[in-house]
Order: sequence, then C-alpha cells, then structure tokens
Amino acid sequence: MSNIVAVNQLTKTLGNLKVIDRISFSIEKGEFLAIQGPSGSGKTTLLGLLAGLEKADEGNIVVADKDLTSMTEDELAIFRRYNVGFVFQSFNLIPTLNVVENIALPLFPEHVSRKDMFERSGKVAKAVGLTERLDHYPNELSGGEQQRVAIARSLINEPKIIFADEPTGNLDSKTGQMIIELLRKLNSDRGQTMVLVTHDDTIANESDRIIRILDGRIANEN
Amino acid sequence: MFRYAVKELLKRNKLHLLNVITIGLVTLMVITLNSLASAYRDAARLPFEDIQGNIIIQRNGNVPENISGVLLSCSLAPIPQELISEIKKIDGVKDISAALTLWVFDPDNFKRVSGVDFHDSFGQKLAAKLIDGSIPDTDNQILVEKTYAQKNSLEVGRETTISGQHFTVVGVVGTTGNEVMASDVYLNLGTAQEMAYQSQSLQQVETFNDTDINIIFINVGQTSLKAITHTIKGIISNPDMTTGKTPLGQTVGSYNIYTPESFENQISSLFHISDKLTWIISLILFFGVAIIVARNALRTILERRKEFGILKTVGFKNRDIQREVSLEIFIQILAGFLIGLAASIIAIVIFSRTTVSIAIPWELTAYPHFLLSNPNEANVTQAHLLPIKLEPLQVFASFVIIMAVGLATSFLSVWQINKLKPMEVMRHE
Repeated sequence: MSNIVAVNQLTKTLGNLKVIDRISFSIEKGEFLAIQGPSGSGKTTLLGLLAGLEKADEGNIVVADKDLTSMTEDELAIFRRYNVGFVFQSFNLIPTLNVVENIALPLFPEHVSRKDMFERSGKVAKAVGLTERLDHYPNELSGGEQQRVAIARSLINEPKIIFADEPTGNLDSKTGQMIIELLRKLNSDRGQTMVLVTHDDTIANESDRIIRILDGRIANEN
Repeated sequence: MFRYAVKELLKRNKLHLLNVITIGLVTLMVITLNSLASAYRDAARLPFEDIQGNIIIQRNGNVPENISGVLLSCSLAPIPQELISEIKKIDGVKDISAALTLWVFDPDNFKRVSGVDFHDSFGQKLAAKLIDGSIPDTDNQILVEKTYAQKNSLEVGRETTISGQHFTVVGVVGTTGNEVMASDVYLNLGTAQEMAYQSQSLQQVETFNDTDINIIFINVGQTSLKAITHTIKGIISNPDMTTGKTPLGQTVGSYNIYTPESFENQISSLFHISDKLTWIISLILFFGVAIIVARNALRTILERRKEFGILKTVGFKNRDIQREVSLEIFIQILAGFLIGLAASIIAIVIFSRTTVSIAIPWELTAYPHFLLSNPNEANVTQAHLLPIKLEPLQVFASFVIIMAVGLATSFLSVWQINKLKPMEVMRHE
C-alpha cells in the first residue's frame, strides 16, 4: 500500500516548549491509525500539523502527495477543504445552521448549486444514519447525533484522510462505541484513511496501529 | 453564503438586532433633522412667493409730522431709479421689479395704495390673484382688494376717488392681507408716482422725484443669492445713494435688504434648527453609529471566534469568512436603513401637517398702527403648512455615509478575522 502521510523530522515549539520533537512516521492509505498519549504530550498539536492547521518549525509533512510546509495560508485552506475531514471532541457544529447545512458547510465557499448541496448532504447523512433529522438544529440533537453530523460534514468532500480528535470524549460509552463502529465501518467500506487521537485504550485497540506520544516524541508504535 | 448570513442574522439576533435598531434610529434622526432644516429654509422663502423674487430692498425714511394727504408708507424713503439701473447690471440678476407704496388719507377713509407696473413680474403675480375683472389698461383704472372692496361697496365698473382723482375699478384681487406689500388699491406705477410727486405733504418729508419708487423686488438664482446681496450692499453704500438731504434737513436713512435668511430668524418653532447645527448633529450621530456598529461587530467576532475557527478548519479562506461577515454587516445596514427610511417618511408626513408661523417685518406690510384699535394688529404673521419633503439627495447621502460606516466596520472585522489562528481556537475549545 502507498503512503498517504509522510512525516520527517517534524518539530514544533510553542513559546519555550518543544511540543513536537523531531518526529518521523508515515501512514498508509486506508489505514486506521490511533495516536495515544497523556494530556500535554503533543498529540493534538501533531494532529493540527498533519491537517495543515498549524505550520511546522522544522521538518516536513507530505499529505496526499502535497508538501504542507511550503504552502501559503490560502493554499492550506483549499487543501483542507478537499483533502481532509475533521471530527472534534465537542462536535463543533454551527448552531445557526440545521443538519443539512452543517453537513454542507465545506461546500459554502464553492459555487455549488443549492440542489447539489442538498443532494450531497443527503447522501452522506444517509451513510451516517441521519436521514430523519436533516432539518433539525444542533441544539435539538443528542450528543451522538451531533457527532454523526460532524462525521457526515467531514465526508462531504470525499477527503483522502479524516482526523478525529477524541471523537468520543463528550459521549457516554455506549454512544461512543457506536461512533467508533461508524468510523471503523467507513474505514472498511470506503477504504477511508482515519487518524484518531485518543487516550482511551479500548478505542485505540480498535485501530490497525497505535502511535504513542510522550513529551513530543514517539514513545512506541504497535 | 447568503443563506448562511441570513440564518446567522435571524438565529443569533440580539447584537444584530441592536445594530439594525441603532442604524434605523440614526437614519430616522438624520433624514428627519435634515428634512426639517430644509423645510424651515424653504418656509423662509414662502413670504417671497407673493412677490416673484428673493431679495426685497427698501430704504428707511423720515416720520412725517402731519399725517394727511398722500404719504410714502411710513417710514419709507424714495429710492432713485439709478439704483435699479445699477442692480440690473449685476451678473445673475434674473428679474427686477419695483413698486411705490403710499398711504392715502382721504377725508372719507384711509387706504394703502400701491403703484405697480402690471406688466413686470410683480404685476403679473398680482394679476394671477384676480378674482374678478382684469388688470388696468389706462391710468384711471385700478384694482381693489376683495375685503376693501366689500367694506367700501366697490365692484368692477364702479367709480371711486383717490386723493381727489377719479378712478374706475376694473378688477378685484383676492389676497389674505398678510402678504408682503399687501394694499387696498393697486394702480399704474406712473399714476402713483405722479400722485406722490404732486403731494405737498409728502414733499415736505422727502424729496420725491416723479420716477422714484420705494420698494424693489429682485429675483436671483438661489446659489448666487449671497454673492448678489453682497454686491448690492456695495452699491447702496455709495454716498450718491445714501446722503441725500430731505426738506427737513435730515439725512436719508440706510437701506434694508430682505432675503429668505432674514425671515429664517422670524420663524418660531421648537423644531427649527439651522443647517450648521443639523450637520453637526448628523456627524455626531454618524460617529456614534459607527462606534456602536463597530463595537457590536467586534463583539460578534469574539463571540464567534470558535465558529470562525471551524470555518477555517473545514476549508474557508480568510477571504471567504470576510465576505460572509461583510455580507452580514451589509444586510444589517440595509435593513436598518430601510426601517429608518420608512420611519422618516412617517415622521415627515406628521411634520407636514404642522404649521409654521413667520413674522413679517412691519415695513413690508406697512399699516398705520395709530389707526388700529389694537396696535398689535399691525404685527403681521404668516402661517404656512411646513413645506417638508423627503429629499432624495439627503437620503442618498445618508445611505452613502451609513454604508461607509459598514465598510469601515468590515475592514475592522477583516483585521480581526485574519488574526484568528484555527489551531489556537481549537486548542482552547
């Protein structure tokens, strides 16, 4: 299998603290990878760097054959729009938009017709089992449903890789398990590459591979 | 994007509503204040509607010791024809007409008599008020004012005597009696001049030549009014025009020049404010709205920091978010402006039903107050409905300024949005 992510000697300093310290690793296309580590170990920063949300101080990151370290802010935004999907711990939905509109959010800056937008949203909503709640607003949904909307949003542009930062952190264990099963299903059915940040061993054990981070460095891989 | 902006405005409405209300209120106040200022400026021109001009010139004269016979309306002095010739030479003077106003104390009654050139613009304005008959063709024909005619049983075709001369009434004019230079009788200017010239009682007070007049009406373009008034003041300060001696040995007094500005000071109203004050208030209001809208826009951005972070994360460029925020600001401004404009129209309709009172200087409607049982009756006041209207230029100017406020706020927002780093926003979630 070919690599979709290649990280080489990646370093990031925040203030005087070296949050990521000369990390190198790669991720294969279609892989379900878990990044584990205690609080403050640098896993969220690593996720931000991989997704082009943050610029590295040293080293380079190639995602989907694109070198993120040489891109401008606008180029990174376009890169994220078409190549990367995000799922957050606190769902991060827009409260003033309904389910369909939240799912279609990455399409808003494009000149996509309203009909296309709703068709595409409907398709991914179906894939995550949300067809009954399309005109509801986030505050009318349960935590599990909100996370499904976030997952559907991450899928709308058929990204090459999805990054999920503690996606079950705000959910009860049963709902959390359902979300992990959904992510796993998307990975197996669609061959969707997934990178999951978690501190939960049970969830990490669902992945193909685990990278453990400690003090900004890779402690071990298995 | 438009849908997103509209939903944002409708769903998160507290600060946006405050912006819309603030913009609406300021629009209402600025448009209404400016319309009021224009309306009072226009109201000051209303007394001039009766005379087809916007500058009136008179000259102060002497008070006669004996009130009898034919006199100049007290206390006006004769104005030489040379002044008219000089004024005619000024660039921008569209039209000039002159008249001679007299008091005639006949044994049976007193009458205010005006000598008018029925073919000049003032004469034509008078002709437009004819309710019966026609304008005089010959020197022995006159027009009479309706009330005077009723009081003295005069009608078209009847004969009457003025200072011993016989005249035939050929027309009746309907006036309110409050007009500038309202008279009981109107006759040919030449006839009036001859009557004044022959009057011993008048010649004892002032030296009157048979071509003199005592009131001039000048019509000039509104924009050149100030400059022409200034030029006229220069002409009348010439010693040849001012230092004539009267038979009583007194120096002829100074000239009075009336323009709409003179009447503005005579208007009494709670809502009468000057243009300058209106502009100062408007600027303060615009400055206030700029601060409030900018403050609310920045507060909104701070409140929506996380939301903008999400937008950046899912692939919005800075420019996309700026466009979104600018669209929201534009919609708020447009909504606020339209609400303010609608409220202004209602306010203008209400104000258009109010009356404005304009005190006319006594010299312009000279009536011998000693003949009145109540001397206060000599103080003439004109009452007009306030000529207020929505000025498209003011509406446009207000819109442009409000839009400029929005544009400035947009730039401020852009600056704030560009500073947002999505990872920082996410890290602090």
